[in-house]
Amino acid sequence: MDYLYHLGVLFCIYVILAQGFNLVFGIAGLFNLAHVATYAIGAYTTALLAVELEVGFFQCIIASSLMAGLLALIIGGISLRLATDYFAIGSLAFSAVVSALLINWRSLTRGVLGIPGIPRPELLGIDFNQLSNFLWLSAIITLLALSSFWLICNSSFARSLKALAQSEHAAQTLGRDVARYRTWAFFISSLYAGLAGALFSYYLNYVDPSSFSLAEMVLVLTIVVVGRPGSFLGVCLSTFVLVVLLPEGLRFVPLEASVLGPLRQFLNALLLLVLIFINRARLFPTQRAV
Amino acid sequence: MGSEKVNGAIGQTSKDKELLVLSNVSLSISGLEILKDISLVVGEGETVGIIGPNGSGKTTLFNCLSGFHLASKGSLSFRGENITSLKPSDRARRGIGRVFQSPGIFREMTVLENMVTAIEGRYPLFRTFVPWANIHSSIKGEAMSLLREVTLESKALHKAASLSGGQLRLLEIVRALGFGAELLLLDEPTAGVSPKMKEQVSTLIERLRSMGKTIIAIEHDIEFIQLFCERIVVLDSGRVVMDGSPSEIRKSSQLQEIYFGGAREPRV
Amino acid sequence: MEILPQLLVNALIAGSIYAIASSGLSLAYGLLRILNFAHGHLMMVGAYLFYATRILLDASLTVAGIVTALGMTVIGALVMWFFVRPFSKFSPLLTFVSTLALGAMLEASVSMLFGVNVHSISRGIDFESYEIWGVFITPIQIVIVVSTLLILGLLAAVIHRTSVGRTIRALSENQYAAQCLGVDYERYTAVVFCVGILLAAYAGVLVGLETNIQPTMGNSYTIKAFAAMVLGGLGNLWGTVLGSYLLGLVENLSIGLDFGGYSLPAGYKDAFAFVIILLVLLFKPEGLFRRRSRRV
Repeated sequence: MDYLYHLGVLFCIYVILAQGFNLVFGIAGLFNLAHVATYAIGAYTTALLAVELEVGFFQCIIASSLMAGLLALIIGGISLRLATDYFAIGSLAFSAVVSALLINWRSLTRGVLGIPGIPRPELLGIDFNQLSNFLWLSAIITLLALSSFWLICNSSFARSLKALAQSEHAAQTLGRDVARYRTWAFFISSLYAGLAGALFSYYLNYVDPSSFSLAEMVLVLTIVVVGRPGSFLGVCLSTFVLVVLLPEGLRFVPLEASVLGPLRQFLNALLLLVLIFINRARLFPTQRAV
Repeated sequence: MGSEKVNGAIGQTSKDKELLVLSNVSLSISGLEILKDISLVVGEGETVGIIGPNGSGKTTLFNCLSGFHLASKGSLSFRGENITSLKPSDRARRGIGRVFQSPGIFREMTVLENMVTAIEGRYPLFRTFVPWANIHSSIKGEAMSLLREVTLESKALHKAASLSGGQLRLLEIVRALGFGAELLLLDEPTAGVSPKMKEQVSTLIERLRSMGKTIIAIEHDIEFIQLFCERIVVLDSGRVVMDGSPSEIRKSSQLQEIYFGGAREPRV
Repeated sequence: MEILPQLLVNALIAGSIYAIASSGLSLAYGLLRILNFAHGHLMMVGAYLFYATRILLDASLTVAGIVTALGMTVIGALVMWFFVRPFSKFSPLLTFVSTLALGAMLEASVSMLFGVNVHSISRGIDFESYEIWGVFITPIQIVIVVSTLLILGLLAAVIHRTSVGRTIRALSENQYAAQCLGVDYERYTAVVFCVGILLAAYAGVLVGLETNIQPTMGNSYTIKAFAAMVLGGLGNLWGTVLGSYLLGLVENLSIGLDFGGYSLPAGYKDAFAFVIILLVLLFKPEGLFRRRSRRV
């Protein structure tokens, strides 16, 4: 039973993370490779606040989201002005800086050892060390996050972002300030990533840099592409398939764990490739001039 | 609106030898039909002007001819050979030259290098690869004599980026000649060209005609185009709506309607 | 400051490897306008191919080199066919995603085949260092520096002196105009891409000989090659080469020099490449060495 709860919590974390990326990548069309880095910032913020300063649950969650959002804003402000190619490189560099800091800033992050002993919260007399209770808590938070996300998806803000993604010039002439809209998209998506990071910390009781590798970024990218970029329900469904069903299926493959991990990574990437191949004419339509 | 057949059937040509034949060519780009059922015959040595409002598919037609877009329906033939599915480079090798609307000059190269790149493209790689190959002196000689024709020989060793808009046009036209173009597709040869240079461009086009080259030119300036075109094709919303001599076209009331409105279907 | 000459030599060695790795990336970008996020992973695959033939099959250096070169040419062509070409004509974003997927797949495959642990490929290589004017250098490091200069010289000669080079420059400036002069875009881009992959593989083998190899090495080299390219300006080959040496210099000086209490721990060495990218993107996004804008 515990294993089902475990999958449930994982689904909650990844669906928030993936929907955040869905906003910035699927709707705004920005190839933001720093999404997992902001997720890491969220996770470490909670870990440090909860362990070192014994800050409460809700404060931690809010602080994590804001911290991720603010850092993303700083970088976003710089790199959003750049063209697609440069933005992709800039965001990749940002994520690399974050992981280098996580590994090397030992006095703060304990490096590769990670931060253990993150206490699960106790609210209203409910002990969330019990997994079923923690699942309920995650589910409620996820529900709130998803409903707010759903509202964003169906707002005029999302429509403007979509218009920007398809034709910057056209949307500009319609009076949309490109940089401002994209910065907001970047900020909001990072709030979600930070929130997912905070939940991750609380759930695992432990964070270390290896959880925030580029492979994780590929997984998030795969989730969004499989679910169809920009589609709210699609991304929820594909999170379920890729985070719950696929690893579940792989459990029955008689292979060692050291092979299973890379195998899962390989299958994710293969799936990503096949899907963008099938949808290559429809994804990211841009006007081309000869 | 139906097309006004000014000069007998559409596509009929006064010259005897057919060079380029388009039969029922349609082209769709991401679901949008930009060229609709275009049939056109261009004879050898003919000079054809293409006019039409913005978005009528003129440049797309050129891209379709030079192979950047493949026709979704219909077929193209050049000198009797079916070229419908050929790559741009193979079409160029068969003699279809192109002068782009925004000049396709390699600006970081010198003027001479631009010419040499075109001329040496005619030869197999092993003959031109090393800089000390014998062939280079004749290639350079040919390049210089072509540059002399457009009085750019003094600029030969300058970066092409230093040329004026008109000089870029001249260079691009002689560069296409250097590669051996028989049919020249000129996309607005006078756009961004000063009035003085405009004269030089038209002199060069006149020279091309006397050399027996076939020319298809897109041009907005109808006064300019009738100086050297014996035939004008009018495109509107991806269709050929008129095809005839300049005087016939000018007399037609339909042209007014296309350019200045009236009840008509929306453009693509 | 007696450490300075040694640091400069170390910077030269590191810069040489970066130059080989990033010049391939820059060539491919110049022609195809794609960012190959798997470039470092292809480097890693080259090193593992060399490892498999040289160490596991116990082939001689020459045979291992030839097998690696042939294997990487095939892999380069496959990558071009399956990961680049189907996507590049639709949107550059698609090629970002496809090469990112490729990188993940390569890393996963190598991990499954050879395990995630560190391997050495330097069997039979002499590691005795020579001392020249107080600077220590190993034979393999001399090979790295000299062969890089030779390769870059050859590249310069081909690009600036031959007809093929003219065609490549023409293509990278305006592929449409070049095609209208009879240049077969597909053939040229495939060849140039494969040359880039071969250079990457060579860089990978050099890294392996100098240190060791690991499936995870790919990603950080991808980013370093990007850093060099951003320093030099995207698609600007010689700017990228200069950027590579500059990157090697900054990395080594920042870690090696003693700044009193502010000395940086060696672990931050890699982070420098990343910070450099961000700084350059902030202040000089067109690169440090770009003479003028090329775009019309």
